[in-house]
Amino acid sequence: MTYVASRGGEAAIEQAERLFRAELGPITPRQVDTIRQTLPWLIDRVMGEASLHDRDLAALALAQTGGELYEAVLLLRAWRTTQPRLAVAEVVHLDQTFAHRRISAAFKDLPGGQILGPTLDYSHRLLATDVLDGQTVTPPAVESADMPGAALLPALTDWQKAQGLIDDPTPASVAPDDIPDLTREPLLFPAARAHRLQSLARGDTGGMLALGYSAQRGYAAAHPTVNELRLAEAEVRVRHPDGTPFSVGRVRLSSCEMVSKTTNPDTKAEYLKLGFTATLGWNEVKVIAGSTLDLNMQTGGARPATNEEFVLSHVEPVEASGFCIHLKLPHYVTFQSALDALRGIRRDGGQVRSADEVMEEAEARTAAARNTMEPAQ
Amino acid sequence: MTDTRQFCGHPRDAALSVLARARPDRAAALAESVLDALGEVEVIFSRSGLVMVPMRDTVQGTDFHLGEVLVAEAQIRAAGCLGYGMVAGRDLTRAMSMAVIDAAGQAGIALPAITDFLSAEAAHQQAQDTKRLRDIAATRVDLETL
Repeated sequence: MTYVASRGGEAAIEQAERLFRAELGPITPRQVDTIRQTLPWLIDRVMGEASLHDRDLAALALAQTGGELYEAVLLLRAWRTTQPRLAVAEVVHLDQTFAHRRISAAFKDLPGGQILGPTLDYSHRLLATDVLDGQTVTPPAVESADMPGAALLPALTDWQKAQGLIDDPTPASVAPDDIPDLTREPLLFPAARAHRLQSLARGDTGGMLALGYSAQRGYAAAHPTVNELRLAEAEVRVRHPDGTPFSVGRVRLSSCEMVSKTTNPDTKAEYLKLGFTATLGWNEVKVIAGSTLDLNMQTGGARPATNEEFVLSHVEPVEASGFCIHLKLPHYVTFQSALDALRGIRRDGGQVRSADEVMEEAEARTAAARNTMEPAQ
Repeated sequence: MTDTRQFCGHPRDAALSVLARARPDRAAALAESVLDALGEVEVIFSRSGLVMVPMRDTVQGTDFHLGEVLVAEAQIRAAGCLGYGMVAGRDLTRAMSMAVIDAAGQAGIALPAITDFLSAEAAHQQAQDTKRLRDIAATRVDLETL
């Protein structure tokens, strides 16, 4: 595909952008506050895909784009490139996060218990149409327990490793500054595990859901169960110039492990195999789909959800949406050439001609043109 | 790693964490009140930026980058001390308030006020966490297999 420069249309472009923005109306600080306060789950989804945690910026991006999610993510990804990186925080460990929700579908009596947290999992989904008739629907207050639960809950995998139920690989010691980083280096295949997990953390929720669901429906090797799903807050721990570690505040994160029973083809021994995904913000469907994909990519194979290159290349929201929407930009030259070829085939009655025939015809046309230009006798 | 150094009657690491999460208007008021005693303040920087947050994968133990957090950062020199503040978000005033209080505390200025402020903010943050944990505890399930 080739591109040529063209000019014209400036006035139309200017007015088209004005039309888009005029329909959204003024963007006010109050509107951004309202979006931040009333749409926390949407804010979280955008922050995760943008790979940038700041609720104010995410709300502003949503206000400015009228909720066009890919545009909002693009704005945030672009904005982050204007900011210096001041530090790499201490590594977050799941058992050190403030747990708001933590469940397992596979292990009923997981250490620390099943904590539902904020969820609609077991609720009727009814649209509150009374609101449209002018009423305010106020949710009933939580009947708090007398005693607070523990903020820190053990990671289920630590118990499983101690029980010998799953492998306990010794993590390679990597300084935080040396952890592979997709914002500074390209994604190459086979991907480093740190790149794979960062790629899924930044991934497009819809794209990951589609591929993860394809695996769960059978188009892959493993259709697993939730080992542990957690919505939490992590302390962002940095160092004072005098070396004292401290937390600059908390960020929301979601994490999930999916587990599946597998048989070793050589020994026929059965064992548990797990996949993992975490993301900034609370976004359960994304981490469930992501850890399903991580598990299936470990197996490998020809199916989309088992192929790392296929999955990671197609769940990148800015690249995928950017490619898709660029197709609506002018492609007149390439399309004109395709039209010419199509018309040529129609004229020739659908006959496919050899290169020699095409050349002969071209020469005949040239000769005819020359004849018409010759002065009349 | 636990830091055992003290800051205005509180462990220094905990005090800095409390300052970073302190209510903005109260921190700004305290910082304002110690400025005169601090004398000349040299602002080394006051800026926004990003902190990358890595996480450990619970399955294979791999450390990977979860994403970046927007922060505001301030560093000042005053009364012979280096004051530092970093807070989540883009509020440069909050970061500067923290840096001023940090410098004042190190220089021994307004110690009772800073000590009281840290105690009050720590109690406020603890109360918020406790309220949330009582709500969360109400969602704990006792499953019974039939």
